[in-house]
Amino acid sequence: MYGKKITEFLKSNGIEFGDIIKVEAEGISEEGELMPSTEANSEEIIILKMKNGYNAGLRFDGAKITKIRKGVPVHEFPHSKITQKSSLPKVTLIYTGGTIGSKLDYKTGGVYMLLKPEELLYEVPELANVAELKVDPLFSISSEDMSYLEWQKIAKQVYEAEKEGSRGVVVTIGTDTMHYASAALSFMLNGINIPVVLTGAQRSSDRGSSDAFMNLFCSVVLAARSEIKGVGICMHKTSSDDECGFIRGTRARKMHTSRRNAFRPINEGYIATVSYSGEINYLSKDAEHAKHDKKSKEPMVGFEKNVALVKAYPNSDPGIIDYYVAKGYKGIIIEGTGLGHTPVSTQHENYSWLPNIKKAVDKGVIVGMTSQCLYGRVNPNVYRNLRLLSGAGVIYCEDMTPETAYVKLAWLLGNYDAITAKKMLNSNLTGEINSRSDYEDFLV
Amino acid sequence: MSDKMHDEAYYKSLGFMCGLEIHQRLATAEKLFCSCSAILDELPPRHDVIRHQRAVAGELGEIDRSAKFEELKDRSFMYKLNDVHACLVDIDEEPPHTINRDALEIALQLAASMEMKVPAELEPMRKEVVDGSNPSAFQRSTLVGLNGRISVNGNGIDVPSMFLEEESAGIIKNAESYAEYDTSRIGIPLIEIDTFPYIRTPKEAKSVALHIGTLLRLTGLVQRGIGSIRQDVNVSIKGGSRIEIKGLQELADMDKYIENEVVRQQKLLEIAKLLKSRNAEVSESQIDLTEIFASTESKLILSSLKSGGSVFGFKLKNFNGAIGMEVNPGRRLGSEISDYAKMAGVKGIIHSDEDMGKYSINESELAEIRKRLSLSDGDSFIMVAAKADIAEKALRLAMERAKMAMEIIPPETRAVDNRELYTTRFMRPLPGGSRMYPETDIKPIYVSDEMLVSAQERRISVEEERSKLKSEFGSEDMAERMMLSTELPLYREITKNASIDKQFVANILLQKFRELQRDGVDVESIGNERIKQIFEMFSEGAVAKQAVEQLLRLAAKEPKAAITEIIKANALGRITGKKLEEMVSKELKGKDLSDRNALPLFIKSFMSEHRLNVDGSELNGIIARLSKSSKK
Repeated sequence: MYGKKITEFLKSNGIEFGDIIKVEAEGISEEGELMPSTEANSEEIIILKMKNGYNAGLRFDGAKITKIRKGVPVHEFPHSKITQKSSLPKVTLIYTGGTIGSKLDYKTGGVYMLLKPEELLYEVPELANVAELKVDPLFSISSEDMSYLEWQKIAKQVYEAEKEGSRGVVVTIGTDTMHYASAALSFMLNGINIPVVLTGAQRSSDRGSSDAFMNLFCSVVLAARSEIKGVGICMHKTSSDDECGFIRGTRARKMHTSRRNAFRPINEGYIATVSYSGEINYLSKDAEHAKHDKKSKEPMVGFEKNVALVKAYPNSDPGIIDYYVAKGYKGIIIEGTGLGHTPVSTQHENYSWLPNIKKAVDKGVIVGMTSQCLYGRVNPNVYRNLRLLSGAGVIYCEDMTPETAYVKLAWLLGNYDAITAKKMLNSNLTGEINSRSDYEDFLV
Repeated sequence: MSDKMHDEAYYKSLGFMCGLEIHQRLATAEKLFCSCSAILDELPPRHDVIRHQRAVAGELGEIDRSAKFEELKDRSFMYKLNDVHACLVDIDEEPPHTINRDALEIALQLAASMEMKVPAELEPMRKEVVDGSNPSAFQRSTLVGLNGRISVNGNGIDVPSMFLEEESAGIIKNAESYAEYDTSRIGIPLIEIDTFPYIRTPKEAKSVALHIGTLLRLTGLVQRGIGSIRQDVNVSIKGGSRIEIKGLQELADMDKYIENEVVRQQKLLEIAKLLKSRNAEVSESQIDLTEIFASTESKLILSSLKSGGSVFGFKLKNFNGAIGMEVNPGRRLGSEISDYAKMAGVKGIIHSDEDMGKYSINESELAEIRKRLSLSDGDSFIMVAAKADIAEKALRLAMERAKMAMEIIPPETRAVDNRELYTTRFMRPLPGGSRMYPETDIKPIYVSDEMLVSAQERRISVEEERSKLKSEFGSEDMAERMMLSTELPLYREITKNASIDKQFVANILLQKFRELQRDGVDVESIGNERIKQIFEMFSEGAVAKQAVEQLLRLAAKEPKAAITEIIKANALGRITGKKLEEMVSKELKGKDLSDRNALPLFIKSFMSEHRLNVDGSELNGIIARLSKSSKK
């Protein structure tokens, strides 16, 4: 952002972003377009886009700045001339934000969303051969800023889209918390009878190498043609642009900060793959193939916000449990070590979580145990310490990821009474728990 | 009027414009935006990554013309990866790390050396590239210097800009719908230096390139070897268009390529004039000619038909003879059109100004082609044989180029076509200005006063270096040769030792190295460190002057041996001082030296036996002393 001095100067001289100005500073005399400054730039620097396309940051203090002429008005995004085919399956694309489907407007620094199908088709013209698209911009929120309130809106919107005749729905969403959202939507839309495909991009779509194009294409293919029903994530399966993998919504996890194939299924294989040429390959025996003739169940969008996800680690302070109990929390999922441990029989009394957990359970707080190993199943019986915890009333959440267990507990408490919620926590609702552990499901 | 003046006047009359873009890899330890090694070893690739890229609207909204053109080619790219040379950053799977400070310092040093102004804040940009040479589909490039000036042969040359950017991937395979790249060199720091297009003659272009090349080498911080420096030349004449000739590696021929480009533009302008006067026209409709060749003897067409191909053609009204007109040695207008068609993945085109016998297309087939395309006498045709969709695309591109032949010279990026004829071919349309947008993953770089002061302290002047060499050698010719030599930084390092015989060092580096190479000695394998060591030992008196060459030969044969070991194993140590004196007096004992030729003869025979171990002037001194004392 420009500092106060520059902002005032620009204002009083009637200079706006995009205007052609001349800057004479420290021996440099250049004409160019005034660009906005971002939070990464120094406040006292004027950013000029020169004729050769490069930006240069010139010192404002002591500079002579003259306006040459008004800039051309902000560019309109090019539209595709492709017409949609009504003979193709109807797919609704719900935008919620994130790097996919949005453009940075470098003139204003704002994010510009591709809200119209013709804008989207300009970018990914091959979509026109797959589905008749309806674009439904819901909001534009970074994934780290998303809350359950947005998940609820998305769930309702998906249900509406299906009612209006969509054969499938694609939800574009920021990737950071996509696996929380996919779990939440899996529970909220348990009983939906169409494919609900969440997708995003690890590289923003304003670069030619973006993964957004293939992710979007494969997602629309799944929504338009697959026999899958229910919620899942469709993103790159490898670093290559050759195929996407579809992961059950309750089984996905972002396992890499930046790679295209960051999303992996945990304790389960892929449900299906989709090639860039549009072929679907069903991989899972229990992929829920469905005929899309039944009516979907109405979504259950209740969500209890007073549920916490807590990590146990060496030297961790069990007082965190007391903190949440005191705040009136109704559920806590612990991300324990190994098979589902917290420090219990410590040499130093202060580090044992056992009394705090006991106290919480006694107060009626539901405490669930998962593992920070992510892979594998928790087990309350192998070690004495586990038995102690289990005896204290901790629910062992089988092979659920900590994130899914957290979302599930919050959803259960939002829709059921505590007793029912406690019962349902470690029983399977929508593929989030499997009683078998397959040999092949590790590090997929 | 001198030749030079004539040259200048001639090119001025043509409206000759010429500017250079020089790209030089820097010799930093790490890459520009990650910690991979920037030093290239030939390690085999271990992973393959496949990517598709597409042109996206840039910062100002429009899709760059050149980027769009590459997308039309609709190709997939395979990136070969070796974990030592490339990491996730290089294959666009991780955001860039902070900029390599060493590279930035070299860039600032060069900016100071060319009297450039440095913006207070450097803004890293993305330059869109969709030919696949960058897995990210852009090249990161930062403007570091502005408004520079160098003096070449007494003429001031403006150097308006210098950039610090990433090296692209090296191409391995380039096929129809697919290209393969080696990712090892992606991200090596690269300096781009641009001049204004006011270079006056092709020869001056060469001098400017040599000057900048020397400046870069003088830093001692740039990579050497094939591909480490690349010169792009921009050329145009009045009525013509800007053409960028890319990747000239051999400076010696730069002027010849430029001269040829001038001729090409002149010829194309003549052709355009001719076509206009004839009211030439390019038909928009492609006609399927496949049927004509049902029983053809043309191998070229037959092989295409066998693999499911078709033959398509179109009419060029009043083009007769024009497609076959020569624009450069071995190149016709047809070659230019063919270059465009090839972008669709065909091997070439067939046109009516060619001898059909070349393709074994017979008279009746030719007559039928002319009939189907409704050609009159003055008309021409172009056709291709390929799979229908490829043929269609190829002809569309050929039509586009043929239409331009009537109007303009298309602005293009061109590559070397024939190294012996100094000709070029079309690569892609010249990129427009819209392919830049900010690299938001890297923080802008604030240039501190300390950085600028330090760069000024490391300033290099080619002119100062030249006059210094002149005074060191006393020979203008030798100074000039050293200026152009890649060994100059090594020479400077060796002669840091002020007492060393500089002419001797220069002779070895410039003359002897070349001789040795001609003898089949692999000079490269000696290594700069060992070369320095040999000269050090010579300067300290540990080896004789005559032994230096022998040492170099032996060191080249044994790339891993220490110089001291080689000296020991081959008895190449210098015999000097008392030891030499004893040896000489022992051999002189009892010799009759009364003949005036006796002493010179003795020296000759002594030296022929000990030349590698004894310094001639020291021997002379000893003998003079001994004979004096014996006379006494």
